Amino acid sequence: MVTGGTKYDAIVIGAGHNGLVAAARLARTHGRVLVLEAGDRIGGAAATSEIVPDYRAPAVAHLLEGFPRRIERELKLARHGLRYAARDVPTVALDRDGAHIALPRNRREYAAFSKRLPKDAEAYRERVALLRAQADIIAPLLGELPPRRDDPNVLKRFLRRAVLRAEWQGRSALRKLMHTLPESIGDRLDAEFESQLLKGVLAFDATLGGGEGPYAPGTSFRAVWREAIRMQGQGVRQPLGGMGALADALAAAVEAQRGEIRLGARAVRILVENDAVAGVELSDGAVLYAPLVVSALNPRVTMLGLLGAARLETEAALELRYAAPAGSTAKINLALETTPVFSGLAPDLHGARLVVAPSLHELDEAATECRNGGFASEPVMEILVPSLADASLAPEGHHILSIIVHNVPFEVEGGWEAKRETFVQKVVRTVDAYAPGTADAMIAGEILTPPDIERKYGLAGGDWHQGDLRLDRLFGFRPSPAFGRYETPARGLYLCGAGSHPGGGITGLPGWLAVEAIGAAKGGE
Amino acid sequence: MTPDTAPRKEEPTEPNRADIDPQDEQAPVDPALFEEKPAAPPFERTVLTTPLHLVTSLESRTNRWTDWNGYTVPEVLTGLEDEYRALRGAAALMDVSPLVKYRIAGRDALAFLQRLVTRDIENLGVHRAVHVVLCESRGLVLGDGLLFRLGDDEYRLVTEETHLAWLMDSTEGFRVRIEDVSATLGTLSLQGPLSAFVLMHAGIGDIASLAPSAARWVTIAGMPVYLSRTGASGDLGYELWSDAEDAPHVWRWLVECGGPLGLRAAGFSLRELARLEAGLPRAGTDYLSAFAAIDARDALPPAAIWASPVIDLDKGVFNGRVALRRRADEPPARRIVSLAIEGLEPLRFSALSLEGRIVGTATSTGFSPALGTNIAIAVIDSEVAAAGALLAAAERRDGLSVRETLASVRVLAGPARSHPRRLAVPAPLRP
Repeated sequence: MVTGGTKYDAIVIGAGHNGLVAAARLARTHGRVLVLEAGDRIGGAAATSEIVPDYRAPAVAHLLEGFPRRIERELKLARHGLRYAARDVPTVALDRDGAHIALPRNRREYAAFSKRLPKDAEAYRERVALLRAQADIIAPLLGELPPRRDDPNVLKRFLRRAVLRAEWQGRSALRKLMHTLPESIGDRLDAEFESQLLKGVLAFDATLGGGEGPYAPGTSFRAVWREAIRMQGQGVRQPLGGMGALADALAAAVEAQRGEIRLGARAVRILVENDAVAGVELSDGAVLYAPLVVSALNPRVTMLGLLGAARLETEAALELRYAAPAGSTAKINLALETTPVFSGLAPDLHGARLVVAPSLHELDEAATECRNGGFASEPVMEILVPSLADASLAPEGHHILSIIVHNVPFEVEGGWEAKRETFVQKVVRTVDAYAPGTADAMIAGEILTPPDIERKYGLAGGDWHQGDLRLDRLFGFRPSPAFGRYETPARGLYLCGAGSHPGGGITGLPGWLAVEAIGAAKGGE
Repeated sequence: MTPDTAPRKEEPTEPNRADIDPQDEQAPVDPALFEEKPAAPPFERTVLTTPLHLVTSLESRTNRWTDWNGYTVPEVLTGLEDEYRALRGAAALMDVSPLVKYRIAGRDALAFLQRLVTRDIENLGVHRAVHVVLCESRGLVLGDGLLFRLGDDEYRLVTEETHLAWLMDSTEGFRVRIEDVSATLGTLSLQGPLSAFVLMHAGIGDIASLAPSAARWVTIAGMPVYLSRTGASGDLGYELWSDAEDAPHVWRWLVECGGPLGLRAAGFSLRELARLEAGLPRAGTDYLSAFAAIDARDALPPAAIWASPVIDLDKGVFNGRVALRRRADEPPARRIVSLAIEGLEPLRFSALSLEGRIVGTATSTGFSPALGTNIAIAVIDSEVAAAGALLAAAERRDGLSVRETLASVRVLAGPARSHPRRLAVPAPLRP
């Protein structure tokens, strides 16, 4: 057992992308920074994994949707090796009969879109305009610290700004937003569109990562939220070398500031002396000292596990006790020895996000199945062929399929051991229906059920968002009111993971803003 | 259903003990031994009697009963004046079993309690008791009680109201066990200037040396009793904690030994009058638990309820610390005080006014025979506490007729009555 212990200026627990963003930003202003990672690689859910040698796939997440330009620029990620294989990746709704719908990104594509769906084209244009307008109202609030809860004036200013932004858009904007907040996306889409397929893909995007079906209240707002998160970034992008390339660039940025990243170092306890953080104890007994500890782990794990509920007041501990995250998304990566061909899909769209969500009804069924501990016979999912844009991922002529399956329960009836094979077969059969020959071309595969994601990539509950993106769990209420501004009752201990504002997805914003909160607390002293 | 009307069940015949071979490992096992007995559903009974119900019923000459925490207890046994004379001149014996008692034990019991209460109990010795205050995260009072340390890792918390949900919510992260032991303990309160003398006559040696707030195990008529020098009378007094089965016998023995010395059994009204004279606010009556207060003004911080509550802001994390530290310098808007209204006849009053404006409420009122005045515990706006000239709208009853008058109110600096005997060491055996 090591007793001496080394002294750092700051310790970041967890080398997920949020932890690395926080570490890289801290290293510029706070001196010696150490990042502790329990696993044997960095990146958390932003990682590239090898299915079999020479076939590499984005391990969990596969596209960057809301990674802000300012983080990329300020951390000089381009200089540290971040390149993109594809920018502005389009979204295609796959149709069983080959009449796919590509969601238009520009005027030219809109013309094709309105030819395919003459009745829904105008409604779609209006919907996108409304979604953008509503996202515009909240987007600026996502990129900054949530308001303090103990000062009613701050909250008033915060709400007033949102209201003002809404009023600039005209009289009806606020009314529409008030209508959107509690509404379900299914009801909204049923009222606006005819095409089942279009409704399916729009509802898929609004519910992905959450446990609810399209008819659950509040899902309409999730679509707005997702749009606002996209506004933080620079369009949907695919990093060159898989998602792990982002983590590598972030790690390089940390190391360029003479920060240190230690793998295989599991933090087991956060040490506190005189109400202030003193350091971190590792599983091997080593003690590392620092006056500032920033945890990218799940808030519940950090506060109840590492710090200990005993160091919190009863009510603060209670707030976290029942906020256990539960994931509902699985990941399947397949290695193919041929190029997958989706029947009826234009060759230039094969690199797009391919969404399998035939209708609202099927999404709703899948959500119900998931709640009852099963999975749908035809799972709803998002497919990406990352190797089309990024040849480095697979040998020439061979390809990777990266599939995110929605509505998969954490605990399946009968246990995952027994159901794993059935599940893969159902997914492969579904993919095969859209891209005939996929099943035969498969040479290897990797499946990550929600428990696997928890075990392998450290996402508590296998939840990509680390807590539902619900209106009552956002801003200063994320993860719970007592911890809503990254700070905790222990002086010098901060949260910086996706469990904090503004939430999940690969945005780096929780990590970025946590450091801002640290700076604000320092300035306030 | 009484035992007489219950359907008679055929008792299974017990095997003859002589037939049982304790060395026989192959002997058939009676599965009935391992069957779980269905627990009685909680709250099946809401009207409860204390372990002392039978003996107090025998003492009762008035048949006046009242409800205390769901238990039926005597309001007055013989007469309030008679009982009061015994309390202040000799000794009074009361059944206080309805008090809520929690056993808190386990490796982290001390740490758990340190987080639960506002005062530092690190140095609380075994067989000692302290007054503790429970707060929630806004620094408002949930309740108060007496905390006994029974052993190294074993405590007993005695409160007026139930706090089980709050205690259980607070256990996360602590290796501690909480049990509501209210029903398993019979509690007797022996108060008055001759209480030590009575205990000496009951056969307890060296009673005078027991310090205030200290406790010890004693044997009374062959029964083990935990005896503590505590009580809510503002005078010398003891409380006796025993098994529920033993409690009636302890009671009878004390009445037998103390009767000739002037000991009288007394009811709940006397306890209320005694604590009113001693200026002890009662949870649920004089102040409300912060969780029960619907009007936010009714939830009070500790400084509003007690003149000098013990709050150790530097002892580490405890519930309410952040909020209490923030408002450490800020005086509370309302506070609880003792009042007196001169006059030799009992009055009924509650609203307190200053220049026609209502500034407070008398929450407990009573007539103190010793002081010859009406006294009350009241919650009033802090700024008028020093102003004086408070008026109470009082009702004077004369037969069936009633008159309403405005009586002038005096705010007392401390409790209406407090005797140095309470803290005297050694405890005086003679008045």
